[in-house]
Amino acid sequence: MQENTQDAVDSALESRSRALFQDSVDGLDFALRSRLTQARHVAVGAAGTPVRARWLGMPWWQPAAGVAAAALLGVALWFGPHSGTLTANHAVTADGQTNLEDLDMVASSDTGSGDALEMLQDDLDFYDFADKAANAGPAA
Amino acid sequence: MPRFDTLHPAWMVWEVPAPAPRGVVLEQTQELNKFLAEIERRAFRMAQVALRDPDDALDVVQDAMLKLARNYASRPSAEWRPLFYRILENGIRDLQRRRTVRNKFMVWLPRPKDDPDNEAVDPLDSVADGGPDAPELMMRDQAMQKLEGSLRALPARQREAFMLRNFEGLDVAETAQAMGCSEGSVKTHYSRAVHSLRAQLGEVW
Repeated sequence: MQENTQDAVDSALESRSRALFQDSVDGLDFALRSRLTQARHVAVGAAGTPVRARWLGMPWWQPAAGVAAAALLGVALWFGPHSGTLTANHAVTADGQTNLEDLDMVASSDTGSGDALEMLQDDLDFYDFADKAANAGPAA
Repeated sequence: MPRFDTLHPAWMVWEVPAPAPRGVVLEQTQELNKFLAEIERRAFRMAQVALRDPDDALDVVQDAMLKLARNYASRPSAEWRPLFYRILENGIRDLQRRRTVRNKFMVWLPRPKDDPDNEAVDPLDSVADGGPDAPELMMRDQAMQKLEGSLRALPARQREAFMLRNFEGLDVAETAQAMGCSEGSVKTHYSRAVHSLRAQLGEVW
């Protein structure tokens, strides 16, 4: 019984709201109706002429080429102009160690093998000897 | 070395479908025109209820008509109604999303109603004057405003279900097609919408 009453209330709400909505539709002003008519004519005129997205007809390699170009540009920007500056400013070497670390290692003294600066001097003497030997040509 | 624009010009060209027989096209066009004329005002009002702004509503309806005509004109006319409302509801949702984003990130831009160039609409302008039915019209107008406010307060899916079923007269299957959900979901959304509206409007009506 209560359910029937509720249904009747729902039905009244539905019919009342429908009637109000239809009234508001009928009450649309002339200017708006005119614009809707114009829009309809444009739509009907365009019937059956689907517009395909431009990228759908694009060859498959073009997006890939674009991505590759962007990646290349990114790499160039990252390593190109900055690499020299970074190396100079932060003294970064190819193996990731800084020159400061190298200098520290070279300058530090090792009790077992003598002064590291003396080792460096020995190396320079060796390179000087090797250079002269190479310029002298093969031994007779 | 070929120039870049001569390599693949195909992607720059609009695709043109195969032409249909002239008589078929004419008949189809007339039928489509009739269909759109029948629904355009209701569709506009439904969009306006959801979006508030009449210009936005007009844009969405125009866009939906264009998409239906371009992409689905060749489909059986019985399918047009749910297809049209599906396109319309998608358009409404897209616009609401764009508004949300705009409100989040571009709050400094004036909204249409904040634009000083737009004159404020006087509610009295919409009231018919001088006629014998003026009080009744005013009451109807107020009732409709109340209804619109309650519809806007509903969750989007409930509002869609209610408007498509009750205002547009779609059956459950068509509404499900328009909303892109199951018939069971339509029934649930509709039932909840009626329940909420009754809770809000029952005492007034």
